[in-house]
Amino acid sequence: MSQAIASAAFSPAAFEAHLASQNEPAWLRERRQASHAAFEEMPMPGMGDEEWMRTDIRLFHLDRYCPPAEAPSESIAEPLLSRGVELGGDMVRADGHLLTSSLAEKWASQGVLYGSLRVLVAEHGDLLRPFFERQVVDARYDRFAALSDAWWSGGTLLYVPRGVVIDEPLHMISAMSDGGADLGRTLVVLEDGAEATLLAETASPNEEAGGMHCGTVELIVGDNAFLRYVNLQNWGSKAWHFSHQKAVIGRDARIQWTIGALGSRVAKVNQHVALAGEGADAQVNGVMFTEGKQHLSYHTLQHHQAPHCHSNLLYNGGLQDKSRIVWRGMIKVDTEAQLTDGFQRNDSLMLDPDARSDSIPGLEIKADDVRCTHGSTAGRVDEEMIFYARCRGYTRQEAIRTIVAGFFQQVYDRITIPSVREALGQAVGQRIREYE
Amino acid sequence: MAEYLPAAKVSEIPDPGRLLVELDDRLIVVLHAAGSFYALDDICTHDGGPLSDGELDTEDLSIACPRHGAKFSLRDGAAMTMPAIQPTVSHEVKIEDDTVMVKLNDS
Repeated sequence: MSQAIASAAFSPAAFEAHLASQNEPAWLRERRQASHAAFEEMPMPGMGDEEWMRTDIRLFHLDRYCPPAEAPSESIAEPLLSRGVELGGDMVRADGHLLTSSLAEKWASQGVLYGSLRVLVAEHGDLLRPFFERQVVDARYDRFAALSDAWWSGGTLLYVPRGVVIDEPLHMISAMSDGGADLGRTLVVLEDGAEATLLAETASPNEEAGGMHCGTVELIVGDNAFLRYVNLQNWGSKAWHFSHQKAVIGRDARIQWTIGALGSRVAKVNQHVALAGEGADAQVNGVMFTEGKQHLSYHTLQHHQAPHCHSNLLYNGGLQDKSRIVWRGMIKVDTEAQLTDGFQRNDSLMLDPDARSDSIPGLEIKADDVRCTHGSTAGRVDEEMIFYARCRGYTRQEAIRTIVAGFFQQVYDRITIPSVREALGQAVGQRIREYE
Repeated sequence: MAEYLPAAKVSEIPDPGRLLVELDDRLIVVLHAAGSFYALDDICTHDGGPLSDGELDTEDLSIACPRHGAKFSLRDGAAMTMPAIQPTVSHEVKIEDDTVMVKLNDS
């Protein structure tokens, strides 16, 4: 079923028109052109490909979507992550277009850049060019990566200069109209010794909205820097979500990366962390909750490239109805990455007999002095736990709801940002059915 | 209440043969074997892979998943061999004039 799909909306002629509208530096235009040529030649991934064999996208038709020409006049979704939070900056995007953007003067005056990637790359092209040229996400990885690299629009940039510590979270929401397309791209750069927290969320105008998101997230964390990055994926239940996300962590730098995966009809996400500098540390948290016929496929990679690095991944998933979650995780340790400490775990709570979880942890270790552990569990709500709760006055429904909340608590406990814990807990709590 | 939807022309599917179609945002494999038409979800319940490229057996009226060989009955989608143990969804079929009509099973 692999085939290149001809799409008038993403045709060479439409691409040239898109380029002409972008007002970008020549080096970026050339890069887009090369990626579009690759996009034209590459086949759509098919179920014969190892990474896609559990994810069926034959009902996805790229030609039914168009790059958004105009921005909606106002925000089309309410944010969850910023409630009650004192923000250092905020952004609202819709269909890839920037609607509003703000950054506190105290951060702007220290050289922090926060806002539309499209606008800022036009103004600060020389500063940003080296980060684009690092090709953190491989634009030739698959057809979606090439599409994103060629067609991205709007986007988000956070750039924090050396040594600047932003002690207030920054927030952005990217919303997509029902049936629309979002080709957003996120680039975060923390220079050496910098610190920042970015709360990013995606949303649709209603729970059943459709559309297509195809994007990339690139996080560059310099030596001794610390980034907290939260990404809440909350598209409508008919949306297609394709995303390549990668962080590169420098020497003695840290990242705490939290993913909330709640929305979309089909999601295919590659989340990679490259521990590139000695002593780098990555904590990766995942909260996934599905219902209906949702299919979420998350492929994680903890790539230890340098000695003395530490990575710790915990993904918890709750599945209802006929939904399916595929998690495929790999810890890869290069030959020179001695004294690595790597951990990954995925637990799935099956709330319905028709739900399905595919959990595939993996290790690929080339160094000989490391500690790498991984694990995976899948099971239903324990009847003994329900009995225990009912002995203390809970109804069966209350007991199940409490047990499900407790299942995710072990991930929430790792998240140091209260608003994120609350938003995730609330979003999952709203979705849990009343089980008999 | 689901209605019969036109899936294919009778002449499009030789006997034996199959045709993969999209009906109401679902992928359905319409099969023609031993003089009759059948319709199944294009899903092997073992690992979720596609059935439509699998081997069609006109004697025991089954289709085998091309990945691991699990066989499903054309008549009712029942899993006939390991590694599948759950049936795939089957749909009612009728012929109107020269058109194969399929009524989608919502289960």
